Amino acid sequence: MWGDLPGEDLIDADLVIREPPVILLPVEVLEGQTIPDTVVEFLAPADVIVLGYHVLPEQTPTEQASMQFEDRAQEAVDDIAQSFIDAGGDPETRVVFTHDREQTIDRVAAELGATAILLSNPTGEISEVLVPIRGAIDVGRLADLVATLLAGGAGHVTLWGIAAGEGSEFDAESAVDTAAERLRGRGLPAEQITTETTTAMLQIHDIVDRSDEADIIVMGEGRESLLAVLLGEDAERVAEGAVAPVLVVRDRDPDAAAADSDGETADAKSATTEDETAGGSAPEPQPDQDLDADDPE
Amino acid sequence: MSDYDGASATASDTHAGETPPVITPPADDEEATVTEAGTELERTIGLSGGISIGVGTMIGAGIFVFPGLAAGGAGPAAAASFGIGAVIALLVALPTSELATAMPKSGGGYYFISRALGALPGAVVGLSIWLGLVFATAFYLVGFGSYVAAVLAEAGVAVGNVPIVIPFALLFGVFLTALNLFGTENAAALQNYVVGLLLTILVFFLGYGGLDALGVFGRASTPETFAPFGPLPVFTTAALVFTSYLGFAQVATVAGDIKRPGRNLPLAMVASVVIVGILYVATIFVATSAFGSETLASFGETAIVEVARSFVGSTGAIAILIAGLLATISSANASILSTSRAVFAVSKDEIIPRFASRMNLRYGTPHVALTMAGGPVLVLVAFGEVEVLAEVASFLHLVMYCLMCVALIVMRRDEPEWYDPAFRVPAHRVVAGLGAVASAGLILFMQPTSQIVGVAIMLVSAGWYKYYASDVQLKGVL
Repeated sequence: MWGDLPGEDLIDADLVIREPPVILLPVEVLEGQTIPDTVVEFLAPADVIVLGYHVLPEQTPTEQASMQFEDRAQEAVDDIAQSFIDAGGDPETRVVFTHDREQTIDRVAAELGATAILLSNPTGEISEVLVPIRGAIDVGRLADLVATLLAGGAGHVTLWGIAAGEGSEFDAESAVDTAAERLRGRGLPAEQITTETTTAMLQIHDIVDRSDEADIIVMGEGRESLLAVLLGEDAERVAEGAVAPVLVVRDRDPDAAAADSDGETADAKSATTEDETAGGSAPEPQPDQDLDADDPE
Repeated sequence: MSDYDGASATASDTHAGETPPVITPPADDEEATVTEAGTELERTIGLSGGISIGVGTMIGAGIFVFPGLAAGGAGPAAAASFGIGAVIALLVALPTSELATAMPKSGGGYYFISRALGALPGAVVGLSIWLGLVFATAFYLVGFGSYVAAVLAEAGVAVGNVPIVIPFALLFGVFLTALNLFGTENAAALQNYVVGLLLTILVFFLGYGGLDALGVFGRASTPETFAPFGPLPVFTTAALVFTSYLGFAQVATVAGDIKRPGRNLPLAMVASVVIVGILYVATIFVATSAFGSETLASFGETAIVEVARSFVGSTGAIAILIAGLLATISSANASILSTSRAVFAVSKDEIIPRFASRMNLRYGTPHVALTMAGGPVLVLVAFGEVEVLAEVASFLHLVMYCLMCVALIVMRRDEPEWYDPAFRVPAHRVVAGLGAVASAGLILFMQPTSQIVGVAIMLVSAGWYKYYASDVQLKGVL
């Protein structure tokens, strides 16, 4: 589809994220949460959507809260948006009153087809990016997003493969290699990339422990699981414990992926290309498997 | 891709590799509502949450107070009386559902009536339903106090000659109001747990009783004529027990917070009426199988406790008393929440000062409205006249039900442009007409005291409207 357009850059057609990426920035707006300037700067290459939300207990109708606090919430969101405008961006804003924070973030992210969600935490200058890579995550999307955000800068990336332990199907080594390959392919100098792998049972705990080394953490959504229902989503738990902001890369929307695979060439090509780079041994990201099914290969 | 031209506003950026961002406004009134200023209001209550509100509000009185009284009136045919009550409730629930899907806003009956019939009927219903809910809450709290006293007596705790019913009711009223004022998520979660536990106990009780009645445990059940007193008492008893169906319309007061209201609102209202209807009929069946209706009548309001005792001794009695406690807690809590929403709805339209819908940011709760719910309740509880409280509450609810049915007929006749309900009542004139007549008819069966208090409350409401809000126009205003 996009590759068919005249003048379309073919390299871009290989991307598995949207360019520029759409990043959703949820802000607990009436609690006085703000966004550090360094984060504003870091997100400059992306289309940012500032989502100001306020969570109410169930006994309060959202309409009642909006009657009284709507203006304040809109103003606070506009203030944050202004800092992005000052940095040369053109952010969109949304204001939501809700009883359920996760439902709201998921809904808005899905409506916008957001590439990633930034769970904010205080941070300084962003130069050290930690990318924990665990099983069943679209490594291509993680790498493409990091490459886009760091393009032309001096930021350093640590790709950290974490295997669950003995007998795990996840090949951390090759996942990390795939990501490194992809980052270099996007023009990030090799000396700005470090790779390492470890084995860990308490992955979330270990990621939180390491968060003080990083200025930002970039990770995948993680699978829905019983544990996630009980303890909260992986990324939320990291953001809660970590001292750095967490950029959560969303899985590709299943609907969008299905639409793309409908006899469209550009995306099928991108999937094939990725397979070649991955040498067929990387964990297969779910949406791309769908594409592979359509691939004549 | 065909979206390309449509998305040309953003197409100057090079999008690649993924579908272009088609910025869809939130599907209005499905997952979120959008205010005039563009703020989104997330809908978070699902179907089960809606059913829990409906069942939780209704179940407080029916099962625990009425079986003895009803059996005394109609014999085993009291089951049919509860059935008739359920049918009347459905006749009102269907028009309410249609109105609620056309106007999925918080406020329920008040909102529909004020938009269809105008500000004066709206104000009378809005103000009197606030007070009606206050009366209902007081009734449930006094019921709670009685159950606490009965549990203590059953467990052999001596309290001497001190009256404990009213003090417990007052204490618990203060506790529930405080919970709603300061609890962040506690109130809603509490409601769901209470309803869940209550339904579990009831299903066990009815399951055991049902098997027992069929002779599974080798005990002959009491054979008795189905309608020993003839058909007429079946209908008068239906009027008496209709109180146990008040509350299904409370689902419509949270219409603004319900996900996919076009589907979930009608389902939640109809399902909660059907669920409690089945529970009520089964309870009467079990009770009249265990004892003759004369014996049941002699037990009066504690009949169901004696039935449970006859099955499994005092363990059964205590279990069913605890279920009664839970039922009154659930109904009282649901009613306090509905009251607060009723206050918000009239204050939003400036029928009472806007001040009443103020909320505090720290706890995120509507403290003024909750106080206007909890405060008068405590006064009425101290007053303690249970039967009058219940009947006045019924009276005011029935007036609202009757007017909601009229509102539906008016809406369908005028059919304004914005009126686009997702659910349409088939044969609406017949259904809503019967609903209106039945609701009005039930009022006639009430004690004169309750009728006088009810009419007085409506007159005061109308007077307030003339004095304070006569310039408010609401008909057809969305």
